[in-house]
Amino acid sequence: MLKLSALGKRFGTRWILRDLNLEVQTGECVALLGPSGCGKSTALRLIAGLEQPDEGNIELEGRPLLGIPAERRRIGMVFQSYALFPHLSVRDNLDLGLRIRGMAPADRRERIDAVLNTIQLVNEADRRPQQLSGGQRQRVALGRALLRNPSVYLLDEPMSNLDAQLRDELRPELRRLILQGPQPVLYVTHDQQEAMALANRIAVLRNGRIEQIGTPQELYFKPETEFVAGFVGRPQINWLNQTRDTRVGIRPEHLHPDDNGCRCRVIGREWLGASQLLLLESNAGQLQMLCSADYQPTEHLGVSWSPEDEHHFDPISGQRLNPS
Amino acid sequence: MNRSRSLWITLLLVWSLLPMIWQLITSFTSSDALVSTGIPFEHRWTLAHYRDLLSGDPPFWRYLLNSTVVGGLTTVLTLLLAVPAAYGLARMSPTRRSTIRITVGAAALFPYVLLFLALLELAREFQLGNSLLAIALPYAGLALPLALLLLISAFEGLPNDLDDAARLEGLGLLDRLRLVLMPLITPAIASTGILIFLFAWNEYPIALTWLSRDDLLTLPVAMARIAGSSIYAVPYGAYAAATVLGSLPLLALVLLCQRQIVAGLTNGAVKG
Repeated sequence: MLKLSALGKRFGTRWILRDLNLEVQTGECVALLGPSGCGKSTALRLIAGLEQPDEGNIELEGRPLLGIPAERRRIGMVFQSYALFPHLSVRDNLDLGLRIRGMAPADRRERIDAVLNTIQLVNEADRRPQQLSGGQRQRVALGRALLRNPSVYLLDEPMSNLDAQLRDELRPELRRLILQGPQPVLYVTHDQQEAMALANRIAVLRNGRIEQIGTPQELYFKPETEFVAGFVGRPQINWLNQTRDTRVGIRPEHLHPDDNGCRCRVIGREWLGASQLLLLESNAGQLQMLCSADYQPTEHLGVSWSPEDEHHFDPISGQRLNPS
Repeated sequence: MNRSRSLWITLLLVWSLLPMIWQLITSFTSSDALVSTGIPFEHRWTLAHYRDLLSGDPPFWRYLLNSTVVGGLTTVLTLLLAVPAAYGLARMSPTRRSTIRITVGAAALFPYVLLFLALLELAREFQLGNSLLAIALPYAGLALPLALLLLISAFEGLPNDLDDAARLEGLGLLDRLRLVLMPLITPAIASTGILIFLFAWNEYPIALTWLSRDDLLTLPVAMARIAGSSIYAVPYGAYAAATVLGSLPLLALVLLCQRQIVAGLTNGAVKG
């Protein structure tokens, strides 16, 4: 189990990360989700020992990590840039850490062959990183983390340098190789879809503070703050401009055509395949509505939604107002 | 287009190589032929200058050896200090780094000739005169600023992620330098090393004042002695032969390292 308590880091007088409390259980994957610059990568670097926190504590399996140098922390980290050693072949990239730990050559060979098999790069073992595709490089990086036999995995935007198709291919790999293992996994990403797809729980970060921690379902159905409601869920939530003392949001998939509903004019249409997204103009402002692909809209139509799908927030604090 | 380019290259080569070719020809021309045009072509040539140099006391190869020892020692010493220092500086915060870079740059630009009297005093105080090992100390000190500047830039060119990844693989500082970072900046280290070696090879004022025993002189001092050995004649031939012999090791060194630099550049592609 990985436990962060009141973790904080500042550069000069500016706090990059403050009051981070988080527990990642054995076998659990927690995603740190947030826009760039929210401090999520800093959190990983603190846990890895690459930077020192200015306050707070980190515990791994009940033992404090602070004070142990990064070299000895037994952490499997995967970088966004892969950070493979360009002058070494795939095999030597995997071998370097084992060699430093003084493992016997025969054992090393055996373990590396096993990992090469797992990441399906047996035939590429003697190539240099620049001779591999992006997906292959990422698999080598995963393999390197696997070989480390770590107590915790830290994945820093591991798929953001890959195109959409490769990401879809790599996601089951990631699940098979790392997420199904017993180690706690901390997964940093700015892609809410990726977080929802892979993580057991998601912590949404903003300006160095946690906005909400919860399961993907909790974040989607009961966002605690206006920011979370806007950040989680695609297409993005609609904000209605009808009331002044509350901010009301309604998700595009919760709108449906209704002749007795709010009058709207269709100003745009986006084709999504199995569904379509209608861009509407109404008294309540611009709305996006997700509806089935075969629906044929007229230029003017009525739209309604059920009140329990509305999300209410305080316009000043951004906190949720709905009775839960 | 292509033809005019090769023409320009030829001109450039002639322009830069002509003095050396002239020197080479002079070194094989007999002293009489150097000052007279009346000697027939087939009688102009001689190996006497080289024979004289190599049979002198001490023989000329002794100076070559001295300079090689001093140059090699200086290069090793400077790189041993500069590589770890440059790594440390390159990982500092940008504001601190630029302050240090300006200071080091100022030191690199300082005309070191102004220092040689003070250095001479130091040599006398600590009895460092007439020692080839000792003279590498001021040389390393003087070559350090430039080496630092070059190597800091080289380390800055490496992504931090590589260093971090190596740390998480369990590599300590020395292992990281030896196994990951230095192999990636080999070209920069090689070219820096050549510059240091060149500086030590060419250095004159300190060598002139620190070394006085005949068998310990370095090349520049020895060559200046040849040039000034007689007040009645300028020994053009001997001087040219000394220049040629003094250039050969450097030529070999550059050719040797050039291969390494080119190889380093082609597989460089630092980004993983």
